[in-house]
Parts: sequence; C-alpha cells; structure tokens
Amino acid sequence: MKPTNQIVALLLVVQAVAAIYMWGITSFWTLSAGGFAIFLAIDLLSFALIAYVYTHEKWGEGVNRAWIVAGSAGLIILLLASLYLS
Amino acid sequence: MTEEKLTRSARLSSWFDSRLGLTYSLLRPAPRYSMNPFYWLGALTVVAFLIQGVSGVIMMLYYVPSPSSAFASTQYIFQTVYFGRFLETVHLYTAYAMIMLAFMHMMRGYFVSVQKKPREMMWVVGMVMGFVTLGFGFTGYLLPWTVVSKSATDVGIGMISALPSVLSSAILFLIVGAGGDATELLRFYDLHVVVLPAVLLVLLTLKMYMLEVHGIAEPSTGQPSDASAARGLPIFPDVTFYLLGLAAMFGSAMLLVSAVFPLSLPPEYTPQLAAQFTPQPDWYFLWIYQILKISVFEGAGLPVALSLVTLIFIVLLILPFVDRGQTRKIHDRPTYVTLGLIFVAELIVLAYWGLESPGQIIGTEEAVLVLGGTAILVGVASWAAYHFLPGHGGNHAVPKAKGVLRTAVGFVSLLAGGATGIGWLLNSLVRLVVIGPSFSNVFELILSCVLLMAVVPLTVLFLYSLESRNGSLKRRLRILEIGSGNK
Repeated sequence: MKPTNQIVALLLVVQAVAAIYMWGITSFWTLSAGGFAIFLAIDLLSFALIAYVYTHEKWGEGVNRAWIVAGSAGLIILLLASLYLS
Repeated sequence: MTEEKLTRSARLSSWFDSRLGLTYSLLRPAPRYSMNPFYWLGALTVVAFLIQGVSGVIMMLYYVPSPSSAFASTQYIFQTVYFGRFLETVHLYTAYAMIMLAFMHMMRGYFVSVQKKPREMMWVVGMVMGFVTLGFGFTGYLLPWTVVSKSATDVGIGMISALPSVLSSAILFLIVGAGGDATELLRFYDLHVVVLPAVLLVLLTLKMYMLEVHGIAEPSTGQPSDASAARGLPIFPDVTFYLLGLAAMFGSAMLLVSAVFPLSLPPEYTPQLAAQFTPQPDWYFLWIYQILKISVFEGAGLPVALSLVTLIFIVLLILPFVDRGQTRKIHDRPTYVTLGLIFVAELIVLAYWGLESPGQIIGTEEAVLVLGGTAILVGVASWAAYHFLPGHGGNHAVPKAKGVLRTAVGFVSLLAGGATGIGWLLNSLVRLVVIGPSFSNVFELILSCVLLMAVVPLTVLFLYSLESRNGSLKRRLRILEIGSGNK
C-alpha cells in the first residue's frame, strides 16, 4: 500500500472513531459541549487532511510532509484537549 | 484481487457518475494557481453564512421576538436547551468570522486589483453584500435583548436620526416602524432572519453568475508562465474536495474557539440598568463609534461625521471607477496600495481606541495627532518598502517572494529592535540623570543594553546569512539602498 493510502486509511479510522464517539457521548455519559465540539473538530480536521492528500496526489504533486505532521499534531492536541475538557 | 477491487470501485463510481452527472459540470474549471486559501476567502465567507443559517434556524425554534420574552427565550436556549449555549457561541463567532472574512476578501481584492475591467460589477455587488453582512451584525445584535445589545442598538438608531430628515425617516420607518420596543424588535428580527438572508442569497447568485462568466482573476503579476500552474481543474471532484477541505478546517477552528471561549449572557435590558451602562457597539462598528466621539463631531457636527462615514462607504462602492489604472501589479500601484494600508491601519487604530475608551469624548487635537500620525507612519513605511525592496520601478529582477519576505521581515525586525533598544537606552539614561537612580531605571538600562547586545550579533548573522545564501553581499544589500538603481 502506498504511504499516502496508509495516511488516508489511518485518518479514516480516526474519523470513524471520532464520529462514533461523538454520537455516543450522550448515550454513554454526560460530556460538556466543549467535548462534543472537539470531537466534531477532530472529524472535520481529519477530513481536511484526507481532502489534502487526495487532491495533491491527484494533481501529481505529492503531499507535503510538514502539513501531514502539523495536521497530526493538531489531532493529538485536540484529543488531549478533549480529555482535559471532559 | 486488488485489480478486481479497483475495477469494482471504478465501476461503482462510474455508476453514480452516470446517474448523478457529477463530472458533467457545466461550471468553468478553476486554474491550479487558484488552489490557495486567499483565492477562496469569499467561499469561506459563504461557509460562515451557511453555519449561521443552520445554527440560526435551530435557535429560531426557541426564540420569541417580543421584549417581554426575548431575553427569557435566549436564556432558555443558554440554560435548558441541550448544547444551546454552544449553539449560541458558534452562531456569534461564525458571525464575527463572516464579517472578518468578508473584510479580508475585500482588502485582498483591493490589493491585487481584482476590481478592474471586466470585474467592476463583481466588486460593486460584493460591496453591497458586505453592507448586508454588516446589517446582519446590526440587526442580530439586538435580538438577545440584553442591556449591552439594546443600549448599543439605541445609540445606532439615535445616529440615524441625525441623517437628513427624508433619509432618516425612511430608514427609521423600515427598521423601527411606528415606534415602541415591540415593533423595533420584531422589525429587526424579520430583517435578520428573512429579508437580509434573502437579499444576500440573491446577490450571491448574481455574483456567482458573474464569476462564472469572467472566471477567477489571474494573479496580479499576470498569467503564470508555468503551464501546470495555469491548467484548469474540474469543479468535481478536484475543486469540490479542495473547498470541502478548506471548509472543514474553518469549521474545525470555529468549533475549537467556541469550545474554549464559551459565550456568557449579559443581564436583561431594563431602562434602569441601561442608565448605569456605557453603551458600546460590537467590534466591527467600533471605528465608526470612535469617529463619532471626536469632539468636533459632537452635537451639530454629527451630520458631518455621518457624511464622512457615508462617503467612505460610497468610495469603497465605486472604487473600480475611481482607480482606473491599467496595471494590476502591486509594485506599480504605490499610491493605491499605500492608501489601502493607511485605511486598514486607521480602522484598527480607531477600533482599538474605541474599545479602550468607552463613552469618552476624544479631543480634536488628539484625534488629529493619532490618526494623522498613523497615516504618516504607515505612509512612510510603505514608501520605504517600495524603495528598499527590489522590483520597484522595474530596475531589478524580482527575487523569489519568500526571499523578499524573509529579507524584509528580518530587516524590519532588526530595525525595530535596534530603534527600540536605542530609544529605551536614551530614555533610561535621561531618567537616571534627571530623577536619579532607582530600581526601575537601572532595570530598564540593563534591559535596553541586553536588547542592543542581542540586535548587533543578530544583524551580523542576518547579513552573513544573506551572503551565504545568495552570493555577493554587496549585490544583496542593494535591497536596503534607498532608491537604488543598478549601479
């Protein structure tokens, strides 16, 4: 599997987990609106990264590793923030 | 197995495509060079508008537009509706983002001259959309019926009364009606949720149509020579996915800000509470508020101030017919670029000043000094940039943008650091001599020496880095020569 496909697969997993978690929040336990917002933000950010990888691969330009690293760091910070807020 | 999967997925995608016509878009492809967030600030403004629409419709389910219930229903959304406070916060912050993005979209368009032939009418329609966006802010601000919102709106309505009587009567009839709080709130609500969105959608459709006719403006430096940068990308899936990615990032940022800084509701409006409160508009109207507080515009001078503000809006509206020069290059438009920079700087200064001095009348001399000083400073900085940086007047080959930016930022930072250090050093020395030694004087003296000691080696390093990266230092230093030519 190409590295970019691996990135997309990983991001899809993150997105799916975030989505399930987000919709499960109210069923399992009470979480603040902040926690909800952050899981929705994780979902959107991972989608933005997938869109970035998809478009740049399609245009034959390759992906810039710095953006992927920055995006992944952003996702980790958001996850940590969700722990803090919950 | 992989081949089979690919074929299956390709067949599936082809099935959807043939039924939905996704790739048969009639829309004009977008050039590759436009895949840059600065080209899509208008699109992000529309995204903010859509988020406003969705969050606003949900709030409409609970909100009651009457003076006796408006605050109570807003409080109900805040306290009882599930994630209601979050919804209110997102609605407000995306409104702020919408106004800021619209302003950035306008200024970016101004600096790269997108308003020139044949896109003059796109600019005019865009400006009207900007006014409608401000209208959203003005009308929406009143709806929670808090002491902050009602007092500020009353000040705004009071200012309208100073306009010529025919104009003020017409505007007041439209937004306040026959009078009374109930009519005023209902009119504002109707304007906010029905009239303004409808007007904005019509204008948006018109602007999108014109965009489709004229296409995306090429860079101000002209069509890129690189064919791959100018190649057209289909609207679906390329541009669609690019825009969805941008929108997702914007939405993510909005959610994050809303989560970290949740809104709190000010107290309910009562005439007694309002009497103890100094009204202040929201940040996007602070610049007008500050102009109106200048003492020369008090009382009989108010119509003059309002005429001045109206004139600014009119000039912005008809700008494509004022700036009729042929060139779009920033390098060749020093006057208009400098005027634009002064305009932005004055808005920031006025807004910040207005925020810091609620209710205070500003002396005319003070206003002339601050606003005039800002204009002179920005004018001189712009003039210096035009003369120090290469590319001005066509005498130099323009180095790559990153190199220019790095050189300019390094040069300006070192200059600012050096000037601050020298000023600070002189100031602390004078105080040391005149007032005598004290802890703060000596501390300032030491700090200024440390700053200067840091600036000197950094300057050497900066010059060394220019030398090592670009060959001859002498050649590179021409960037810093005032009005340099090719000698």
